[in-house]
Amino acid sequence: MDKYSRATIREFMNPSNIGELENPSGVGHITDNTDAVELTFYLAINDSVIVDARYRVAGCTALIATLSVLTRELPGKTVEQAMAIDMAHLSQVLDSLPESKWRCAGYALQAMHMAIDDFKSRTA
Amino acid sequence: MEKIVYLDNAATTPVDPAVMEEMRPYFTERFANPMTYTHSSSGDVAHAALEEARGRVASLIGAKPDQIVFTSGGTESDNWALKGVTEKASRERLHRAGHMVTVEFEHHAILHAAVALQRQGYDVSFVKVGRSGIVDPDDVRHAMKPNTVLISIMHGNNEIGTIQPVAEIARIAHEHEALMHTDAVQTAAHIPIDVETMGVDLLSLSAHKFNGPKGVGILYVRDHQSLYPLLDGGGQEWGLRGSTHNVSGIVGLGKAAQLGKQRLPGELTRLTGLRNALYEKLTSRIDRISVNGDMKQRVPQNLNIRIDGIDNEPLLLAMNEAGIIAAGGSACNTQETVASHVLTSIGCDLKEAKSSIRLSLGYGTTDKDIEYAADVIPGLVRFLRSMR
Repeated sequence: MDKYSRATIREFMNPSNIGELENPSGVGHITDNTDAVELTFYLAINDSVIVDARYRVAGCTALIATLSVLTRELPGKTVEQAMAIDMAHLSQVLDSLPESKWRCAGYALQAMHMAIDDFKSRTA
Repeated sequence: MEKIVYLDNAATTPVDPAVMEEMRPYFTERFANPMTYTHSSSGDVAHAALEEARGRVASLIGAKPDQIVFTSGGTESDNWALKGVTEKASRERLHRAGHMVTVEFEHHAILHAAVALQRQGYDVSFVKVGRSGIVDPDDVRHAMKPNTVLISIMHGNNEIGTIQPVAEIARIAHEHEALMHTDAVQTAAHIPIDVETMGVDLLSLSAHKFNGPKGVGILYVRDHQSLYPLLDGGGQEWGLRGSTHNVSGIVGLGKAAQLGKQRLPGELTRLTGLRNALYEKLTSRIDRISVNGDMKQRVPQNLNIRIDGIDNEPLLLAMNEAGIIAAGGSACNTQETVASHVLTSIGCDLKEAKSSIRLSLGYGTTDKDIEYAADVIPGLVRFLRSMR
């Protein structure tokens, strides 16, 4: 198992934005029993601009830390800007997340994409 | 970090100061090669130390000194037992490829050595285990074949600590003219071992699991003719394992074995009490918690618990931040966190396996350590569950 950075440990021990949104613009949900992951991702979007992002999660350290930094970055970004965020960027914010953890941490982005898809289908 | 509560003694233990003291001169003034004892008094000092250590280890497991062959540790002993016996019996007795029986939840030193034998054309059966984590001897009996030359069943499981009915399985081996090996790495110096009562032909143990140094262990070999030599070299260890002796390490192993034998009765009671107290406290403070494997037929130092709704990786990291060192179902030796093969073999699904942690106590574990762990872990579980 590769080692986590201190930034990742600090982030997961004090995660931001855990919770739900009452009237979300979009929701993404992932259950993966193989990875023991259960994740629900909530977005509040106003005029194509993200105003809030929250999540509920059971999963590994990498995923919790990634969700925490991702949801801090989202407010103020357009949906298109959010879609452009990738693991390389989030890894950098976490002072380098071991590449072996990117797949599991990637559930954060996957759930955000699902929430955006959900938002688009609601507004289409 | 000011306070460390070390609950990962199944992974390794600290060297006891008395062991260290006994080893020290063999790095410096008593450095001679023990094989020079015939013509050198310095060599004789080293040789005498070697033989004293051999006697101490023999005494720990009820063996004769000349049945104790020094190795570099558990993995080497396990590999040697499996390959040395299977290859020799196949070539010299059966004149065809032999078969061996082991269990799905062995340590990788056994499993991977068994797979290596399969690659060489030998036949291996991996017996299954149930929720109890205790092998059913009948399952072993059913796996026997006319060409079975060896059964290898661990004495105590390294992850869940369950103790296996080795004596009963040894009788099955002998009824079929096969030999019996047991990996006693987790049990040596923790529960009583007597190779005669157990009826084993080969037994592995490793010093660093009972406050001895790393890199030294033994293979108990009842009959030197039962297996091929491991290393061809200068004829050390009756020609079974060439290589200049690791004298300081062996001296440390001997001292740790002596101390282990003296301390065993008291530690067995003390650690069982502490382990059970830890489990009771945790169950009273955390809901949806259960033990993996049988709780009674288990080494005193092991507690392996499943905590619903959490992933063991963040829990272990959070515990580490709080100064508590423990382990997941298994030590991760791959790039990614994998679910323990031991837990999945006893019927845990991947989610259950990934929500399990192993807390293993040792000689250095105190009442205060257990109280601290029982106070801190529930809060960390609540913290992780609050994210759901």
